[in-house]
Amino acid sequence: MRANLRSMRMFFTQIKGDSMLLMMCFLPPLIAAVFRFGIPFAEGQLRSVLQRSAVLSEYYLLFDLFLAMFAPYFLVFISAMVMLSEIDEHVAAYLAVTPIRKRGYIVSRLLYPALLSVAVSAALLSLCALTDWSVWNLLLACLLSVLLCIPVGMLVVVYAHNRVEGMALAKLSGLVLFGLPIPFFLTNGFQYLFSWLPSFWIAKLFMTQNYLALLPAIFVSAAWIWALYRRFTRKLL
Amino acid sequence: MITVKDLVFSYTEKPFIETMNFSVRDGEIFGFLGPSGAGKSTLQKLLTGLLPRYGGSVTVDGTEAKRAGKEFYQNIGVDFEFPSLYEKLTGRENLRFFASLYRRHRDIDALLKAIGLHMDADKKVSEYSKGMKSRLNFIKALLHSPKLLFLDEPTNGLDPSNARVMKDMILQEKAEGKTVILTTHNMYDATELCDHVSFIVDGAIAALDTPKALMTKKRAVQLTYTFESPDGGLEERSVPLTQTGGDATLRQLIGDGKLASIHSAEPTLNDVFVEITGRRLQ
Repeated sequence: MRANLRSMRMFFTQIKGDSMLLMMCFLPPLIAAVFRFGIPFAEGQLRSVLQRSAVLSEYYLLFDLFLAMFAPYFLVFISAMVMLSEIDEHVAAYLAVTPIRKRGYIVSRLLYPALLSVAVSAALLSLCALTDWSVWNLLLACLLSVLLCIPVGMLVVVYAHNRVEGMALAKLSGLVLFGLPIPFFLTNGFQYLFSWLPSFWIAKLFMTQNYLALLPAIFVSAAWIWALYRRFTRKLL
Repeated sequence: MITVKDLVFSYTEKPFIETMNFSVRDGEIFGFLGPSGAGKSTLQKLLTGLLPRYGGSVTVDGTEAKRAGKEFYQNIGVDFEFPSLYEKLTGRENLRFFASLYRRHRDIDALLKAIGLHMDADKKVSEYSKGMKSRLNFIKALLHSPKLLFLDEPTNGLDPSNARVMKDMILQEKAEGKTVILTTHNMYDATELCDHVSFIVDGAIAALDTPKALMTKKRAVQLTYTFESPDGGLEERSVPLTQTGGDATLRQLIGDGKLASIHSAEPTLNDVFVEITGRRLQ
């Protein structure tokens, strides 16, 4: 535990020493502020221009779901960048032969940042959400967002050979978030073509308030993690 | 300290290590000698618990390697072939971080001084030369005074004087009762440092003994002499040291005082390696 926490501290030391990663830490609150103030403002402007009673407000839940994803997504991306550096410097393999071990390394680079991002995501959603959220739903949205973002980080680490490739892959892997708008815009059976995206089930869950969608949301994320885990751990050595 | 029984391992369908058996005693320096790709580094990974999917048994300090826990890693130190250091941190910051992972650790400044890096301790590792990184990497493995040290090509890329300092530190560890596993393709290091060496070729042990026994068992020391031939040129001949009494030419030349030169040539580990395996070390 102590060694894992030291490793986590080193994670922050590395972020502090990298201006790009440091800047990325401030992006989720910045985007949250834009959502909180920019979208209602844009809604007011659009209503008066288009002479409609609602334009964007029909999709406030969708904006909130994106908002819940930002903190985990950025933190997992930062974590993937740190891991790619550590793999490149052979430190990841070395930490596996210290009391941290491979398991502790994964915990300190994926699980702890993920848990931290739940807290950040919950704080941002409770401060900047455009719709009303119960505490239960808010926590559920944040936890599911984290569960969705963990395989994104693993995907970047598994397939990128360096940080440049990692950044390109991270942008591409952002597509997994685009399961969110599907239930909002595709109402027929074609929407299930996107059922392999955990984000699709997360949107479905909160749109319909049908908690049965929780099962595929968890299952699809877990399946992604399972599919990537072996390659991910092999990449660390 | 280490017992390996019927070890089998493979990265793919094709076996890489097949039915390997050996043991390492407490307090000895044991060398794995072999060409690149022979399986030395894989063996080190197996012994340090990094590759748990193996067959047979690998017991290290009383623990089955595949079940290595936190306590296991408190007692082993590993120096990988490639530096494993945070490039953006200074040498001292690196050592402080890695030392903080253990219950106890040695004095960092004393280690830096011993390896000759005390003047550069506050430089970023990215500014270090290859040799400086190797030296820092080496003392990183000694930080927590481990009972068992795994050193993979530790003197690679070092100038002779720094290699000497490092070898003396390895011998000092041995004098303190530590066990050292030395993985190398440097026959001179192996001859000088190891109590036992095993030749690893294609994932198997081709020979295992003390360096001296290997060198004397396989090929006799040769005596080579030169003398003026009847056509006026220099002729060279060799005879096993144990059979010099039976060499009439040599006896005659000594008697007539007509030897141009004479010297003995002891076989090196490399010679023995080539003889046993048909492959070269370097």
